[in-house]
Amino acid sequence: MAGVFDRLNKEIQDKKKEGGITPLDLAGLPPALRRIMRLMLRELQAGYPRLCEIMDGMPEKDRLSREELQSTLTELTEQYWLIRIGDGEKAIYKVNLRRREGSTLMAGIWSALDEKLKNKPEGNINPEGS
Amino acid sequence: MSSTGKIVSIHSFRGGTGKSNTTANLAAQVALAGKRVGVVDTDIQSPGIHVLFGLDESKMGKTMNDFLHDKATIREIGLPIHELVGGAEGLSKLKNAHIWLFPSSIKGRDISQILKEGIDFNKLNEGLQTTITEFDLDYLFIDTHPGLNEETLLSIATSDILIIILRPDNQDLQGTSVTVDIARSLDVPNLLLMVNKALPKYDPVEIKKGIEEQFGAPVAGVLPLSFDIADNASSDLFSLRYPDHPWSQELRKVARAVLSLE
Repeated sequence: MAGVFDRLNKEIQDKKKEGGITPLDLAGLPPALRRIMRLMLRELQAGYPRLCEIMDGMPEKDRLSREELQSTLTELTEQYWLIRIGDGEKAIYKVNLRRREGSTLMAGIWSALDEKLKNKPEGNINPEGS
Repeated sequence: MSSTGKIVSIHSFRGGTGKSNTTANLAAQVALAGKRVGVVDTDIQSPGIHVLFGLDESKMGKTMNDFLHDKATIREIGLPIHELVGGAEGLSKLKNAHIWLFPSSIKGRDISQILKEGIDFNKLNEGLQTTITEFDLDYLFIDTHPGLNEETLLSIATSDILIIILRPDNQDLQGTSVTVDIARSLDVPNLLLMVNKALPKYDPVEIKKGIEEQFGAPVAGVLPLSFDIADNASSDLFSLRYPDHPWSQELRKVARAVLSLE
């Protein structure tokens, strides 16, 4: 039987698949959203009480009111740029950055490169080839 | 998790500005000032800063590539440079400091794997933040890939201090204006410019003034073009080996500027 951890982990993985924000998108966000995203990049994960505590410690000009904080978190969560795990006061928020996809070069090129590299002894890359 | 250590990203829009050399020397100077310092190589496609710390693949062990593929923890990756320093005259001065390197792999297979499979940026960000908490760092220096890519933007977005290195060259000046704009869009709290490879025939005071006016940001140092640096060939930390050299004196100004920022 799946435990709580498994269920929450599946919830996170499902939500991650649904989107995520790229580092470049962060630059285009409105100031309040960007402030929370920057803060969450450093925190990695935080609950609502912790975010309130950080807000209270900020200079007044940078501070969001409780209403602004709540609406910002709601918007970020709806876009899947933040993932909310759990509900209510105990909810935890995590940043959801979009994965950079691998190269779209034909698979054959990578397998050929893999083969070449497998046959080479481990060592530093030497551009001289010697 | 809350990290109180400062993240210092070192960036240049173009290659060849001396970014890795500057990063390693700055990190070392900050460590010599008594701070606990980490250096992360996020230039995963063309890593190189490990060379300046006297390391090659045989001494590197686990790398950031292993962390990104869930094969190692951050704790396993951090190399205590202060314990590993060998005979190099400059590096040996770090014996009583606290400085760790988090290298990227220089194995061709690992680099091609990243290019082939892409990067999980949540994992990369977790790695950056975890280095600070796991090693109780005061400063984490990030050596980025030149130009703008997503790894670079992530490191800029998460940094407290961004140092942009440029040469007094029109291509560098144009590229730097792009980076400055992006840094401002990302609300980086502290932006410093550093001019490297300035021709000695020009007045550094005039260079500083002109660039500060152009970008509206402070220039923390104007470092001269020097054949002595080229002659050092990344074999040692130049500012530690030749502390009285004009390049080293100017670099220490940049280090002091970093240390002075809240």
